[in-house]
Amino acid sequence: MVPSTVRANLKARLATITGLKTYDYIPDSINVPGAVVGQLDLNFDATFNRGFDNATCTILLIVGRMSESAGQTKLDGYLASTGSTSVKAAIEGDVTLSGAVQTLRVTSATAGSVQVASIDYLAYRYNVELIG
Amino acid sequence: MAIFMGNKVAVVAGTTTITTFVSAVSLSREIDAVEITAMTDSVQNLIGGIERPSVTLEVFNDFASSSVNSIFEDALGTKLALQLIPVSGTVTATNPRYSMSVLVAQWQPINGSIDAPMTASITLPVTALSKTTS
Repeated sequence: MVPSTVRANLKARLATITGLKTYDYIPDSINVPGAVVGQLDLNFDATFNRGFDNATCTILLIVGRMSESAGQTKLDGYLASTGSTSVKAAIEGDVTLSGAVQTLRVTSATAGSVQVASIDYLAYRYNVELIG
Repeated sequence: MAIFMGNKVAVVAGTTTITTFVSAVSLSREIDAVEITAMTDSVQNLIGGIERPSVTLEVFNDFASSSVNSIFEDALGTKLALQLIPVSGTVTATNPRYSMSVLVAQWQPINGSIDAPMTASITLPVTALSKTTS
């Protein structure tokens, strides 16, 4: 598992959602809706002799300002487990990330907020479990 | 002589190396304790009887051609050659090879849960066992 390839391919999967901007980092200012692919947490040696490793990756989905009622409406589409705007469906549309991992699963999405340029945004934190 | 990590055990099933699909392996050598206590003995007396070894494997399943599932499922009910080496690489006096014949008495082609990859956990009786150092 090459972390940079995994992150790039996760970003590519998210980019299949029309209108969703994708980022490798939390930018100074953000165009919403946007998704930020975070760093990987790695657990080495799932199998013998460096066969597979386990990893988790956090993806931050930033939708809109906390004060905007439209933010929650947008979130509903991204949070759905299926559909063209579903984050889970987009990522799991290619569970090997073009061969970068053996398999993956989007395990959870947790509500929260994130501050960018002193502005509070409605956000969701997705956890992706990867094996490869 | 030194202790070593157990994360590089080589596992060969038949002629196929399945090391990178195996997350745990255990070869257990157990010998029957046969009682020969006599009426005149004040403490029980035992001798070693027949050996009944077994091997336990935790493997990630793979349905690809000639991979894990076909190796074990095709051998179900028959004997399968298995080799274990403590550290993948050259077999030496300090890194011996255990060669055995196991009866594939069980296999789990499907063992799924929503939060984990497909694995199989099996314990197989060993019907022949040898240890070589070269």
